[in-house]
Amino acid sequence: MKSDRSTFGLDRRSIIKAAAAASITQIASPFVITARAADEVKIGLDNPLTGVYAALGKNELIGAQLALEQINAKGGILSRKVELLVEDSTSGDAGTAVQKAGKLIERDKVNFLVGNINSALAVAMAGVSYEKGVFHVVPGGHTDPVTGANCHWNVFRVCNTTQMEANAVAGTLIKSAGKKWYYLTPDYAFGHTLQAGLEKAAAKLGGTKLGGDLTPLGTTDFSSYLIKAQAANPEVIIFLQAGDDAVNALKQAVQFGLDKKFHLAGAQQELEVLLGLPPEARIGTWVFEWYWNQPNVPHVNEFVAEVRKKSGGHVPTARTWFGYASIWTCALAAQQAKSLEPAKMAKAMQGFKLPPEVSLMPDGAFYRASQNQLIPNLYVGSAQSKGSEPEDLFKVSEVVKGIDAAGSLEDTGCKMTWPA
Amino acid sequence: MGASELNKQAPNIFVWLLLLGMPFWLPAIGGYTELGTRAVVLGLAAMSLNFLLGYTGVLSFGHAAYFGLGAYGVGMTIRYLMPSTIVGILVGTLVGTLAAAIIGPLIIRLRGVYFAMVTIAFGQVFFFIAFRWNSVTGGDDGLSGWTRLPLDFGFASIDIQHNARAFYYFVLVVFALSVGAMAWLLRSPFGRTLIAIRENEQRARFLGIPVDQHIWISWVISCCFVSVAGALYALLNNFIDPRALYWSQSGDFVIMAVLGGMRSFWGPLIGAAIFVVLQDYLSSQTENWMSFVGLFFVLVVLFFPRGVLGVIRRKVTS
Repeated sequence: MKSDRSTFGLDRRSIIKAAAAASITQIASPFVITARAADEVKIGLDNPLTGVYAALGKNELIGAQLALEQINAKGGILSRKVELLVEDSTSGDAGTAVQKAGKLIERDKVNFLVGNINSALAVAMAGVSYEKGVFHVVPGGHTDPVTGANCHWNVFRVCNTTQMEANAVAGTLIKSAGKKWYYLTPDYAFGHTLQAGLEKAAAKLGGTKLGGDLTPLGTTDFSSYLIKAQAANPEVIIFLQAGDDAVNALKQAVQFGLDKKFHLAGAQQELEVLLGLPPEARIGTWVFEWYWNQPNVPHVNEFVAEVRKKSGGHVPTARTWFGYASIWTCALAAQQAKSLEPAKMAKAMQGFKLPPEVSLMPDGAFYRASQNQLIPNLYVGSAQSKGSEPEDLFKVSEVVKGIDAAGSLEDTGCKMTWPA
Repeated sequence: MGASELNKQAPNIFVWLLLLGMPFWLPAIGGYTELGTRAVVLGLAAMSLNFLLGYTGVLSFGHAAYFGLGAYGVGMTIRYLMPSTIVGILVGTLVGTLAAAIIGPLIIRLRGVYFAMVTIAFGQVFFFIAFRWNSVTGGDDGLSGWTRLPLDFGFASIDIQHNARAFYYFVLVVFALSVGAMAWLLRSPFGRTLIAIRENEQRARFLGIPVDQHIWISWVISCCFVSVAGALYALLNNFIDPRALYWSQSGDFVIMAVLGGMRSFWGPLIGAAIFVVLQDYLSSQTENWMSFVGLFFVLVVLFFPRGVLGVIRRKVTS
């Protein structure tokens, strides 16, 4: 300290520096003690918590946490306690998702990797998990290649393929809305394959494409696309957006009065989106992948009640179920294989039927052998502005059997090579 | 070597010892090798930017474009042309450097905020090409379906594909060559001229120095090394997507350089390391991690305008 200052004098700078140093140690010190207990089985969840898919990601997280509690209450995986490590993959930044997947596998040595909602991120993460040979469950990224052309022995998927969704809903769409379609499609893997799937399914039934636009993920202003769609004068405007994109697109379409002139519909729809829409925009024919209001299916009511406890009274959505089924898939794979060896677990899951308390569907759900794709029920119906309850916003008109929508194994293009 | 010379070299020796030992000390304090590799790669990018920003006094907000071109260059070479890591890096670097050389003459007459804006604009051009050209670049999904390949020298091969530590040292060698080249350039009369331009452009002009030409060369060199960094970044992830070309990525490079201290040679590396570790650690703790990184940056700019290294240096000299 310089002599012209009193020994006890603290000037502004040194206080600020001390404060900064103190706050840095706050941040830095936990970094040092991140080595985690080795006897626990670890599941790494690398999924969006911020951005366009934040709402969906949080519901998957609730489902995952519920499954985790149930598994631990039943004695864990192979009598070892299970720990869930959660990382935010962001909604659209594949580089971050890849980085986080690498971190979970390399540093945290997870036994299972779960993620992602964004199809593009799911494909990128599957590349990492395949490279490292880690058992990987994709909860909610729909694009076909995950269990199609790019399928891997270690990658399982809970949600449907886009082709399955398209096949399930195309017939009802043509019957209830019309044959001339205009597409508004999110410009990434999910949108591309969903539109291709719908075009294929519609063509078989005499549907035609009048035109379409690709909208970047995270678009907030759809007006220019909607004006173009209007000018094409189709019978149906097909909205393929998900998450906040879908909320924005549909809200604006109804504000423009397009619902008075055309049918607004699409393929995949989710409760999160309908909840985010004003009542007058809850319209159209869609397919849901799971719905909470299934009074006659065993175990569903218990599941709904459990989720309500965790979510502040909200019902589970398809996303909650995806998260739940994904974590249970990990536990069941280990239990079935009596091992945490990824290849043994993957073998044990070929053709595996989920128990009814996990599948929560009238016809149950199974992983198709040599594709690792879950084949569940699909719920075709229409959005409703009001139902029996505030969150009952979808009216199921038909429950489609997954195997009828899935097409043949050859059609998926999946050819798996197993490790020697 | 005299005592004063040793004193001068001490920081360099210290940095190199830290870098060489990274795979050994980093896991011990809770990190992992790939985190170290990431810090070195982004450190190289920030140091390349600093060649232009700190030593020529020109602020570019478009370096992500050349970073991304290097990355796509290596990815597309391995995927479509030739399965070789080294050739990929060379192609990536060449593509990035060529693009910079062509765009250079269009922007070197601009100064200050105008230069920054135009570099953003040109950067966004490349971003939209990568984002929209689905059939070639993979669009928003990114370019996957390729991986870095083991180095094959004919007589021996090094498995940088599966061995994270080997890949780290491979990155470190490329880093050392690039950084060495930059340091050598900066110590040459050419480098001194750049600093003269930074300090007083008008005076340099009066002395008969072709200022625009020097800025163009500095810009091309800077972009060349940032595309090397981009190529390494793609190899690190075995993946590349258009966000690596987005202007906010350029902003991250500037943040790293300013955070660490843009008047010092090693500053941007320190800044990149802090940025990478903060991002890695905080993003696991809270979904609002970006606010904390931002807060940290604001604090540094407000109270330590010479960056983290500037503070340390002042402590040492006082």
